[in-house]
Amino acid sequence: MVFLGGQVLPGNVGRAILGPFADQRAVDALNHSLGVDRPLLVQYGTWIWNFLHGDMGTSYIFRAPVAPFVIDALGNSMKLALVAFVLVVPIGILGGVIAALNLNRPLDRIISLGGLSVTVLPEFVTGIILILIFGVWLRWLPIAAAWPKGAGFFTQLYYLILPSLPLFLVLFGYIARMARSGMIEALDSDYTRTAVLKGLPWRTVIWRHVLRNALLPTITVIATQTGYLIGGLVVIETLFRYQGIGSLIFTAARGKDFPMLEAGILTIGIVYAVATLVADFLYSVLNPRIRLGAEQ
Amino acid sequence: MSKNYRILDLLRRGRTPLENHLIDGLVDGRISRREFVRHGSLLGLSLPLLGRVGMAAGFGAAPSLARAGAPGATIRIGSSVPAAAIDPVTIADAGGLLVMQQVAEFLCVDGPDLVLKPALAESWKPNADGTVWTFTLRKGVKFHSGGEMKAEDVIASIDRLADPANSSNALSVFTGILQKGNTKKVDDYTVEFHLDAANGNFPYMVSSDNYNAVIIPASYKGDYEKSFDGTGPFKLEKYTPKVGASFVRNDDYWGDKALPDRTEFTFFTDIQPQILALQGGQIDIINQMPVLAGVGLLNDPNVDIISLKSVAHQQLHMQCDADPFKDPRVRRAIALSIDRKKLVAGLMKGRAQEGNDSPFAGVYPSTDPSVPQREQDIAQAKQLMEAAGAGKGFKVTLTTERYLEIPEYAQLIQNWVKEIGIELELNILDQGAYYGDAVFGKSNWLDSVMGITDYGHRGVPNVYLAAPLKSEGTWNAAHFKNKDYDQLATSYIAALDLEAQKATAGKIQKLLLEETPVIFGYFYDYLTATAKGVTGVQPTAMSQLFLDKASKA
Repeated sequence: MVFLGGQVLPGNVGRAILGPFADQRAVDALNHSLGVDRPLLVQYGTWIWNFLHGDMGTSYIFRAPVAPFVIDALGNSMKLALVAFVLVVPIGILGGVIAALNLNRPLDRIISLGGLSVTVLPEFVTGIILILIFGVWLRWLPIAAAWPKGAGFFTQLYYLILPSLPLFLVLFGYIARMARSGMIEALDSDYTRTAVLKGLPWRTVIWRHVLRNALLPTITVIATQTGYLIGGLVVIETLFRYQGIGSLIFTAARGKDFPMLEAGILTIGIVYAVATLVADFLYSVLNPRIRLGAEQ
Repeated sequence: MSKNYRILDLLRRGRTPLENHLIDGLVDGRISRREFVRHGSLLGLSLPLLGRVGMAAGFGAAPSLARAGAPGATIRIGSSVPAAAIDPVTIADAGGLLVMQQVAEFLCVDGPDLVLKPALAESWKPNADGTVWTFTLRKGVKFHSGGEMKAEDVIASIDRLADPANSSNALSVFTGILQKGNTKKVDDYTVEFHLDAANGNFPYMVSSDNYNAVIIPASYKGDYEKSFDGTGPFKLEKYTPKVGASFVRNDDYWGDKALPDRTEFTFFTDIQPQILALQGGQIDIINQMPVLAGVGLLNDPNVDIISLKSVAHQQLHMQCDADPFKDPRVRRAIALSIDRKKLVAGLMKGRAQEGNDSPFAGVYPSTDPSVPQREQDIAQAKQLMEAAGAGKGFKVTLTTERYLEIPEYAQLIQNWVKEIGIELELNILDQGAYYGDAVFGKSNWLDSVMGITDYGHRGVPNVYLAAPLKSEGTWNAAHFKNKDYDQLATSYIAALDLEAQKATAGKIQKLLLEETPVIFGYFYDYLTATAKGVTGVQPTAMSQLFLDKASKA
């Protein structure tokens, strides 16, 4: 799909590398040496064959093997996603729970409205504001997310705080809202009333009955956001000069660098699949009905 | 100051007639000192000699700008990401050529003042008709890999670029000028370029103006990123694609050793993060700052702006063989509707010069300044539209690319032409989509009835005069076909003598004002931003950055 889609787009690799003002003979020579002037099926066949043998191919643009680029980028993306995840999931859920427990009181309003307001701000706006505050004025945090070579865990974490903040802001409102509506529904349900009426302590009711049911939709939402957190951060990666897989795919697509593009997209596909799998697994842990259904 | 004819006579002795004609021009006041220095450098006269002639002709000594800073700094530069593998043969982007230029050098360098300065070549001179140029190479220049630079290396480096089989980005520069095999060795330190046709500006084609033309060893077989070999004042320390590069001083350098211990380049895909990084103190220099994106830095007290007059511009073409632009009066009317003063002051924040609808920018010494500047004149534009039978106006699409200030420029034009009844529909595309395959029939750029295209800086107008405007030009988006023009352009390119160039330039300027296939609205400055306290930084309008004299307070 990607392969075919890319062929339809105007331009070719040689032209992308040499620029619009290069001589056509030079472009033809370059396309020939890269092998992109061969028939499409031959190119595709070669690529699939190599991929199945564990060879992701050689980048047209960088004239170097694709694998190290993709692996590095994926590693970086996962680090950033993890930091953002660890920040936003507990705080988001906690925010939603607190809001639901204080339904229609000022605290609820502040969390709902505040969360929603920052969610609608695009990352490049919150990103620039955060950089200006923490990077340029206060100079507390480094602006670029590129840590020095061989930096330890905490140094890397320090460099990742600023870029993960806009992600936190984008996702917080979303997750908190899902958790809040799930909670409200669960609090309103018959089983909660039963649990309260049979005299269980409030804490146990919330912890064992309400939360467990309330979080099911939230987990689905979080799982779908994982793909975005890893592959969809082109803006954040550009702003913070971070070498993630989002911008890798973006530049590969622009330069018609198919080996790089294919490898990147396949990798993201795998990440999505794994995230969905993990979500299904968590779902079954929280929801015994699904487990029982499977056993029957 | 009085003229010293005795010294002038001494200096004139042994010079060619062409060189003496130039000296006479200065003495008689026909050309200015700036023109004299620039054209003299092109003819291969050394800068000290040009200085002595200037003194004897009563112009006083040239001011010296050199001021040594403290050695030992680490200079941190923000630049755009090299778009592809770095290879002198194929390289075509600002980020990549900046990295390459840190380690590799040219025969001569087109400086910020558009004066050619010797680098790996000590001197050069043409034969009587400008068909053969002889370059004398510097002795004792060592490649980082150890060998001495000699004629073979120069010949191999240039032949590699002139060979159509080599995917050379410089092929478009050398086509019709220099073929593979026509760079000949005289001895180890002298090479001759035998040109296809006379060319008065040839040294620019092997200077930093032709950014591919770095001299690397004859044995080079590809994969430049493995060696990064060159003769420059810095040696590569580390290069990581898409991330950055660092360089250290080359202690075997042939000239003055570089002041900085190290330089560190950080690659950015966008300008905004670079500006933030400069403000946040994480980099010292932004190599190239577009004026619109950098407005905030122009008045920042912690930032110095180095502003170079450049000839970079956006060409607005109108297809001369298609309606509604077949009639030159319509094209002139559109050109007359544009307020160039507003373009310079408003759109470009004063960091630009007005264009006069030809490639002859004011900074070129060969430009004829007596040709009047075209100003906005709506009344005359309306008259022309009326006379051309287009008084009722028409609708047309302007196709262009999303790049720098071009979308804003297109909107301004849209507003201006409304006043003469033309309704412009804007079709603003991604750069890749705009250029397409960059051949006629497969490119929005070359096939659109009206379009705006970005052109980078060149030290001489030769490229702009040929490919976009000559009848057979490969970038002739305006489909402009005019025999008189073709002849004038050819004779301009061949002319060795500054006054002959000037005379032809004046004719070309007038012809293009009359025909107006392309509107040259403004030529914009090349801006480099540095943190306060950083000195000795020397950018060129070709995106090169010379850091060997850089220091930090």
